Amino acid sequence: MKTRRIENGIVTAFTLLAAACWVFPLYWAFVTSIRTDENVVAKPGLLPDQFNLSSYADAIFNTKLMIWYLNSVGTAVIVTAVVIVISMMCAYALSQIRFPGRRLLYLVVLASFMIPAQALVVTQFILMNDIGAINSWAGIILPQLIVPVVIIVYKQFFDAVPKEMREAAVLDGGGEYTILFKVYLPLNWGITTALAIVTFIGVWNAFFWPFLVVTSEDMMTIPVGITQVNDAFGVAYARIMSVAMLAALPVVLAYLIFQRRVTEAVMISSGVKG
Amino acid sequence: MGVSLRNVSKEFGAARVIEDVSMDIPTGGFAVFVGPSGCGKSTLLRMIAGLEETSGGTIAIEDTDVTHVEPAERGVAMVFQSYALYPHLSVFDNMAFSLRLAKTPRAKMREMVREAARILKLDDHLDKKPSQLSGGQRQRVAIGRAIVRQPKVFLFDEPLSNLDAELRVQMRLELTRLHRQIGATMIYVTHDQVEAMTLADKIFVLKGGIVQQAGAPLDLYDDPDNRFVAGFIGSPAMNFIAADVIGRDAGDVVLRTRGAEAHEFRAAVADPGLATGAEVEIGIRPEHLRLDAAGMPVRVEVAEELGDVSYLYTRMADGTEIIVERHGSRDRLDGETVSIATDPRHVLVFDRQGQRLR
Repeated sequence: MKTRRIENGIVTAFTLLAAACWVFPLYWAFVTSIRTDENVVAKPGLLPDQFNLSSYADAIFNTKLMIWYLNSVGTAVIVTAVVIVISMMCAYALSQIRFPGRRLLYLVVLASFMIPAQALVVTQFILMNDIGAINSWAGIILPQLIVPVVIIVYKQFFDAVPKEMREAAVLDGGGEYTILFKVYLPLNWGITTALAIVTFIGVWNAFFWPFLVVTSEDMMTIPVGITQVNDAFGVAYARIMSVAMLAALPVVLAYLIFQRRVTEAVMISSGVKG
Repeated sequence: MGVSLRNVSKEFGAARVIEDVSMDIPTGGFAVFVGPSGCGKSTLLRMIAGLEETSGGTIAIEDTDVTHVEPAERGVAMVFQSYALYPHLSVFDNMAFSLRLAKTPRAKMREMVREAARILKLDDHLDKKPSQLSGGQRQRVAIGRAIVRQPKVFLFDEPLSNLDAELRVQMRLELTRLHRQIGATMIYVTHDQVEAMTLADKIFVLKGGIVQQAGAPLDLYDDPDNRFVAGFIGSPAMNFIAADVIGRDAGDVVLRTRGAEAHEFRAAVADPGLATGAEVEIGIRPEHLRLDAAGMPVRVEVAEELGDVSYLYTRMADGTEIIVERHGSRDRLDGETVSIATDPRHVLVFDRQGQRLR
């Protein structure tokens, strides 16, 4: 009994330590954002010695933060919607429809899942350049629409739906689109929500590709826009951190509201990756 | 004709699971496909539904060739073993699903669903989700979903297998009533010969993708074409005893069982090909055996007393199990040796290939 209590104590202590390590950068960013730039440099310290929102006001009124916000929202919503719809349709076809080359196609999806995104950046950039999509919505969005893990997760869930369900719908006169959207999608709302949230967060946080494909400030998403704040103010830690805090806000809210679904999706996609 | 199959076959790769099946099911008839697991009965049903393509032959429904017609356009409705109800939809919406797809006017759809619900006593459950219903109610919803489509042919794929014994008996009666009420052609697949006997106008016994025999339930019971049908139809199953033909006497064939304690049986078989010395198997139903001091001695291993009837599970000297059905006697016979006999007209004879000799 006593040994068990000690074990629990050690585990709890380690968990708290790990949590502190995770939280500290956020805490540090928040504390920095509510101080003035001068104060941050003059009096470095862990504890907040003032509550000053001037850097937030600067970020909102003296940068293109609102435009970047809108760009991020637009990009994330469009990419999420398109990724979910095309991945669902692709997964349904791979799972339920018998056609020549089905297995080969699935192997291609699996193979594309195994290629790191960074390995494709150069070719994607050349392609986007060739079609004149640099500094455009198409340039930001198109390469982000291919998310093999969403197809693989959907396929697993569709495979688990009893085949009689589809056959009953076929006999009822349902075509493939009807069956997908009126039977398979409602049966898999849970995983659809989870995948949508994870995709949204991923696109919202995406930095590397939008950073490469966009040079115009008016086309930037928030993560890319933060780099412009740095350029505009020099080393203005408080203002950079305030933009970072504002950028993270929607993701934090989304996570807090849909915590269970996000955890579910992360665990499922980790399972696929494992 | 409700459903006609001509030389229908089905292959999965190299495996031939349905072999050259032909059958006719009259309009309004209740046909049952019965057979052991893997005999092809469900595949045959799915081929009629259009869920499996045929490898050869033709399928006609109401005299129209539907071999290559889409499932939804064949005029069939199917009830699945797993019910296949859409869990996210209410009972009403489950039953109305096909009507909505067919763009049936709302008022007409409501009327059709309510009528089906009335027939199936589901009026009070239309707003519930399938998960809120019992197994029997779910099965009724599945049947209701079929009824609203007003199909030419109802197809049932082992629909009662997931129900407990009591509910199964109840649903069996309800299906019979339903068939009489709506008068549609019905085809029912089961591995349970009791269901087949109680429901069918006509039974098709399948084995290895081949129809072994088709006919009215009692015709199959009384007059099986082969050893498989004789053994499959009837519960408890028919007794089979290896025997040799030793001659003829007064029109009957005289047969002698093999082994140390050989015993003679007579069978009313006219087949002239049944020569002396032929190796055969004789089949006798448990209810046709009686205790008779002049009969064949067997040892009673277990006696099952069911009240009105009792079953003696006995063994011959060579180890062959023989089941004897008795009525009106409650003597405790466990462990005793008794003698059994039967009338020649109740002894069926099968050749070495299992074909009946008449």
